[in-house]
Amino acid sequence: MAQSFRVSDLTGIQVRPARLWTHSLSWILFVAGIALYAHFSILRHRENPEDRVIPSVTQLVQGLKSSVLEPAEEDDPLDPGASLIQQVRHSMIWKDTASSARRFFIALLLLVPAILIGLHMAVFPYAGAFFLRFVLFFDKIVALSLLPILFVVFGIDEWSKIMLMVIGVAPTLMLDSYNIASGVPKEQIVKAFTLKSSNLDVAYRIVLKQVLPQLINSVRLNLKPLALFLFAGEMIASTDGLAYRIAIMRRHMGMDIIIPYLLWVALLLFTLDALLRFTNRRLHPWYQPH
Amino acid sequence: MAIAPHSLPRRTEIELRAVSQSYPCGNKGSKTVLSKLNLKVGAGEFVVVLGETGCGKSTLLRLILGQEFPTEGAIEVDGKPVTSIDARCGYVPQKYSLFPDRTVLGNVMYGPENAKCRFLARFRPSFFAYRRQLRAEAQAYLVRMGLRPQDMDKYPHQLSGGMQQRVAIAQALLMHPPVLLLDEAFSALDPSTRASLQEQLKAVWLESKPTVIFVTHNTSEALLLGTRLILLGRHREDRAGETNLLLDLEIPSSQLPHSARVKSREFQELLEHVKGLAYKFSSLCADDADPDSNTDSNVEEGALG
Repeated sequence: MAQSFRVSDLTGIQVRPARLWTHSLSWILFVAGIALYAHFSILRHRENPEDRVIPSVTQLVQGLKSSVLEPAEEDDPLDPGASLIQQVRHSMIWKDTASSARRFFIALLLLVPAILIGLHMAVFPYAGAFFLRFVLFFDKIVALSLLPILFVVFGIDEWSKIMLMVIGVAPTLMLDSYNIASGVPKEQIVKAFTLKSSNLDVAYRIVLKQVLPQLINSVRLNLKPLALFLFAGEMIASTDGLAYRIAIMRRHMGMDIIIPYLLWVALLLFTLDALLRFTNRRLHPWYQPH
Repeated sequence: MAIAPHSLPRRTEIELRAVSQSYPCGNKGSKTVLSKLNLKVGAGEFVVVLGETGCGKSTLLRLILGQEFPTEGAIEVDGKPVTSIDARCGYVPQKYSLFPDRTVLGNVMYGPENAKCRFLARFRPSFFAYRRQLRAEAQAYLVRMGLRPQDMDKYPHQLSGGMQQRVAIAQALLMHPPVLLLDEAFSALDPSTRASLQEQLKAVWLESKPTVIFVTHNTSEALLLGTRLILLGRHREDRAGETNLLLDLEIPSSQLPHSARVKSREFQELLEHVKGLAYKFSSLCADDADPDSNTDSNVEEGALG
């Protein structure tokens, strides 16, 4: 029988909160954040009804509407008779999301070899000897400091931003992948060889398959650094993208646009993270996280 | 493609000549684990290696397997020097013996599939027919090892430790290896599971007679299973702690069935004798006591006498 709640449970380690408690507790900080925002917004709007630093709900709704239904300032205005779908497809947020997503996913794709290099470093001693010291050193270089070089090498168009993301995250992913793959018990590798596996069988059918759930988790944890480098690149040199829009709006104090954009970016990353978690669970039912 | 018939595995002889193995040991140079060990294992023998923890039993197994190479001496399997992990050897470690991402059947079928064809050949229709036959054979092996049909599609983490070891042994045996190396394969199991697995292993060995090297620190298990017992340990005057071959004897009536063997007076006497011997060496190693006690040669004489 479930025990009733006692105040001392709040500091207990061995307690198991009931489902209702878990759900209720998980929403408290969201509610507190919204309440705090509303409080300060009301305070500022009492002093100045046109305040744009902490926009009111009406301003936010207006900002959201213009982001989702109106084209960007730099684009041509849409035909007044356009359908809702056309309006959304030519909207500012759609255009910016598409640009940022394209850069994000190209970078993500380019990070796959980094993961494989990490795997090879762990499995093949010569690859480890070749890469490890360099990657350890390269990982300590602040990627943003390479931006001027990237602009010179790749120009100020798409590739400099994509390469910034790749260079920023690749060493971490390589080292993570190396550490994860190194954790596969030696017995498994020996056993695989006694079962007539080739070197590539061991690398890809034994080690990679076993560590894939952890590698996906590693990618999940690196989504935010990836977005961070994307934002840095877009804020410095871009003509579209979510971060570009935030940078433009910052100049005009357009918090009514910036806040919906921030929430949208967080939602996108959260959804991608949830999707990867779901995929991981579905593809690897055998995986037992420690 | 057809599955190879259940032929007896090719007999294999293992020979270690003056094998020493040392490991780097911090700033102190190196620590010698095995010292000038000479050992010849005949084809079809069931050799049980007994010794206290840390005396080099597993090192010996890794050397034969080709996972490590000796710092001195030479190892030959079937007259050929061991230069890499030998796919002729079946291997069952104490833990981590199964691939966690494969089901029980997937684990057992992995080896024969690999042996039969390379990756690209697995897309040929003939491979699917082969796979069906192999699946039936694997299922039969697993049932024989005590698994239920409903366990076949489970993942290793869904099985108990005993079940996992049964699968690990089936995984090694389905390759029909001429040499089977087991490294404390039953040490984490409860007594009844252990006894059942001992019987099954013995039955399999009696049937196809592969050369088996079974590492354990359980004396009665060693005497029950093996045809030959090897005791590894450190000589009392050897303060460097190097491991040597202390005892090498044929185990009498090893062909008898399990139950008959346990009951025999000869077995019980031998068990007491080896236990006493193992205990004696363990205590000497632990405290370097009593300089006037028996030397190793006396012990060997006593044991063999």
